Amino acid sequence: MSDDQMVTIEVDGRKLEAKAGELLIEVTDAAGINIPRFCYHKKLSVSANCRMCLVEVSKVPKPIPACATTVNNGMQVFTRSPLALAAQKGTMEFLLINHPLDCPICDQGGECELQDVAVGYGSDVSRFVEGKRVIPERNIGPLIATDFTRCIHCTRCVRFGAEIAGIRELGATGRGEHMEIGTYVEKSIDSELSGNIIDVCPVGSLTSKPARYQARAWELVQREAVAPHDSVGSNLHIHLRRNQVMRVHPKDNESVNECWISDRDRFSYLGLYSEDRVTRPLIKTEGQWKECDWQEALDFAAQGMKKARGGDGDQIGALVSPTATLEEMYLTRKLMGGLGSRNVDSRLRQGDFRGEESAPWLGQSIADLDNLNGVLLIGSNVRKEQPIFAHRLRKAAMEGAWVGFVTPFELDMNYRAEQLVSSPAGMISDLAAVAKALGLSGSLVDDAEVSDVHQRVAEKLKTAEKTTVLLGNLAVAHMDYSLLRHLGALIADATDSVLGFLPEAANSVGARLVGVAGGDGLDSLAMLNSPRKGYLLLGVEPDWDFWNPSLARQSLSEAEFVVALSAYRSASLEENADVILPVAGFTESSGTYVNAEGIWQSFNGSVKPMGEARPAWKVLRVLGNLLDVADFEYNSSSQVLEEARDSSTIQPGGNSSTPGELNVRTPAAGLVRAGDVPLYASDALVRRSNPLQKTNDAISAAVHVNPQVAKDGGFSAGDQVMVKQGNTGATMALVIDEAIPDGCARIPAALSGTGELGGQFGEVTLEKA
Amino acid sequence: MKALRDYVKSLFLLELMKGLGLTGRYLFKKKFTVQYPEEKAPISSRFRGVHALRRYPNGEERCIACKLCEATCPALAITIEAEPRDDGSRRTTRYDIDLFKCIFCGYCQEACPVDAIVETRIYEYSFENRQEAVLTKEKLLAIGDKCEAQLAADISAQADYR
Amino acid sequence: MGFKNAPMTSAKPVEDKAKLFSSEICSEIDRWIGKFPEQWRQSAVMAALQVVQDDNGGYLTQELMDKVAAYLEMPPVSVYEVATFYSMYELKPVGRHKVCVCTNVSCMINGSDRIVEHMEKKLGIKLGETTGDGRYTLKEVECLGACGGAPMFQIGNKYYENLTTELVDSILEGLE
Repeated sequence: MSDDQMVTIEVDGRKLEAKAGELLIEVTDAAGINIPRFCYHKKLSVSANCRMCLVEVSKVPKPIPACATTVNNGMQVFTRSPLALAAQKGTMEFLLINHPLDCPICDQGGECELQDVAVGYGSDVSRFVEGKRVIPERNIGPLIATDFTRCIHCTRCVRFGAEIAGIRELGATGRGEHMEIGTYVEKSIDSELSGNIIDVCPVGSLTSKPARYQARAWELVQREAVAPHDSVGSNLHIHLRRNQVMRVHPKDNESVNECWISDRDRFSYLGLYSEDRVTRPLIKTEGQWKECDWQEALDFAAQGMKKARGGDGDQIGALVSPTATLEEMYLTRKLMGGLGSRNVDSRLRQGDFRGEESAPWLGQSIADLDNLNGVLLIGSNVRKEQPIFAHRLRKAAMEGAWVGFVTPFELDMNYRAEQLVSSPAGMISDLAAVAKALGLSGSLVDDAEVSDVHQRVAEKLKTAEKTTVLLGNLAVAHMDYSLLRHLGALIADATDSVLGFLPEAANSVGARLVGVAGGDGLDSLAMLNSPRKGYLLLGVEPDWDFWNPSLARQSLSEAEFVVALSAYRSASLEENADVILPVAGFTESSGTYVNAEGIWQSFNGSVKPMGEARPAWKVLRVLGNLLDVADFEYNSSSQVLEEARDSSTIQPGGNSSTPGELNVRTPAAGLVRAGDVPLYASDALVRRSNPLQKTNDAISAAVHVNPQVAKDGGFSAGDQVMVKQGNTGATMALVIDEAIPDGCARIPAALSGTGELGGQFGEVTLEKA
Repeated sequence: MKALRDYVKSLFLLELMKGLGLTGRYLFKKKFTVQYPEEKAPISSRFRGVHALRRYPNGEERCIACKLCEATCPALAITIEAEPRDDGSRRTTRYDIDLFKCIFCGYCQEACPVDAIVETRIYEYSFENRQEAVLTKEKLLAIGDKCEAQLAADISAQADYR
Repeated sequence: MGFKNAPMTSAKPVEDKAKLFSSEICSEIDRWIGKFPEQWRQSAVMAALQVVQDDNGGYLTQELMDKVAAYLEMPPVSVYEVATFYSMYELKPVGRHKVCVCTNVSCMINGSDRIVEHMEKKLGIKLGETTGDGRYTLKEVECLGACGGAPMFQIGNKYYENLTTELVDSILEGLE
């Protein structure tokens, strides 16, 4: 039977058209006919173990599960016949045998599928008089609260782990009444998507730990938002109560995040209520910080900027967080333009600005990732950078796609992928070798030594039908990014692959569209290398948000005047800024993000900004007025958006890369740092979300080297070592890790203790502390 | 004829006499009224007076912060905030009833799954300022502690009808 | 997709599998692996657990189960699931003779309760326990498919059917 053949079935007397081979429950769901179910989930495999969706089908003597029955032509289905209802009622009674009846205590109460179905199909009184099964509480980490006594063994969470998250950590152990969902051995669930099991659980077995007992479902008001971290732009539902965000859920958007979100998007909201939120404007006079009112702070900021600028607009520059909204970015650029400066940049973690590139699009739609046949990822720990993209790529890999990585340390993958692990300099030669294997030539390529593995990568990319070459965060931070990009572009071109970027942050693409990134002024590194007299910081923390934090701190501290628009205060900000203007955080302000695919997603503020904080676009607007910048009369963020949209000429299209000079800067010998940004250190909000910081993905500053390097240096695991990078240095623990290649030291950035160091990539030496 | 009859009636004040006679009869009957506040009328076990929060005999508060009373309250008089207590159980950190809003409908005690919020027989209360009209958790528990014997008796008396 | 029609394999298989078990065990497991399609190594999990359990004196430890998982390139929890589901796997040390008494319907009707009661009294232990001298373990199991000879129990690889209390005595005494 071919897939597109249509059949006609009859459900409760209604004629329905369906594709042959479709599941009955899919057809009825599409037609809006309700069949109760627990174990069936549209994104998971069918297990048909809850038996709640039993329906009667003509010519079948017994009721059969709608979730495991494919439709046939002429099938007659009765979802509410006496037989079906009796079966469903019976199932419900069985499910309630061991389910505790303490809905008033349960966090799922009010939004529980079992509760809802029990109202429809349950009896008023239980016939079960025996004792109920009790399972002691299991600790599976700081994000998910468990209460397996309530479990009805639908195994959605187990299937989610195996099929979506790609880590099978939960399982159903035991038999019959002794069956338990759990990890069997006490351990936490370490997946960047683990929070989704809260959503798939139909009962209160798995609930959000941070939101535990904080609110009831019916008290919450739902608003829409867009995730502010990675460049997926996941659609969110914000659930709030009395002007406070209580939890975050995914909003279904098949073309972006399907029905999943990463844990970072789900739990980062807790950072909003961190103690170091700035709620009143702060100014520094004679080294002392004091709170003041907005008028004073804004005047102070405007005067300071004016003075620092002097007669030359080029003397000032703006450094913008790539998670700022499009409106904020546009106004920053316009404000700086009004002051005669073109120095605006949001590419704070880029290590090399040679050459030119197009806007960092994905180069294809997000949904296209599912159907790729071959993927080469250059410098991308995609699982920890853009978890939803990683999920999409995993889907492709499960369907047989070849996935390869060129990476400075071995990545922890949840499917079998080819990893070319080599030191930062080796990454370039690996790519050059792949290019050579493809028959290319050129100044970098010619000297490359081609081995079997390079040949294989070339072969795979060449022969597979739909292929792409993607550049990730580690590539962008590489001190020879322009070379990696150039080689990637060559390989993509030679293999007929799409060249794509996995942009770092929610608005990395948007920044490019409004000229905040890739404009004609100084880039972020140049702005710090040749220090300006005045800086405007938007949502940036000097210690953690720069490619080279020690350089950033030095340039900022030497500047005459630094205005910081920030939701948080931090030690490095207080040290370097002269005025901190409190701005609204995530969910508190309206705005727009442009995701990797190039979709413009606008959202409204859901809650009022905390204290006296104001949306950053309003602050910038007033600053513009005080500095007498022309055409700065905006009454709403949508006016700003309209103007930004009109001014933007870049449209999504093919990606391109123009190389600059082709000399390799990465030292070929010695120990070279590879500094990735850990999953939960990516931006100010995430860094302040306590539950996320308690997970195993929140690592602390350390030097990771392989056993050989440790042996050569005479170090053993756990030693405190002095890391020297150029004229900077910091002491941290040494970790021996087989995943690191020779000549490479993995020293993650954006962690407390790494702010003293230099660039994310660069030569380092280790000494005993 | 009717006019004549009415004339005679009004001439001899017959209507008035009838009324005075009725009044006079009640003068010698047993009294219905009670001398409030010295005397009080009997109260049903279903009486809905001011609220109380009850405890279990071991002193543990009954309320589990399920917020069903808050949800069912038609006058939005109840405000609850909850968080996990140190032992992991859900408890209220705030349980306020605004008596200015409350209409004493009794829905809260009907919604309560653990018989924690109840309405007592207390109907004599007054406030000297507006703040006092809000019964806090402490006050409610104190009322509950004071009236526990009566409340337990009332609830068991009603058990068959609930 | 779905882990029912595609095996959920570990992303990073252990390279030196021969080090996990002795060569006899490895070759025995490999023999079982050979019976299944190539990508379905994990289908050999039940046989592998049995082989490993027999080698370990009749019970499995978590460490052994992890090794089996590594050998078959499957997630450890999948092995735990199998080992906890089937009654022939033991997760705690057992006696020399594991007496598996069937108490399902046919055996129950034919007096398995009496047999159990008799053995409990005779050995001084309850179902699921092991005698102090480590000789016997009593275990209640589900139907072993010998309803024709109910009541029955299994000791080692042998079925004993049509049991009476006298027969039980003689069988137990016959074991060393």
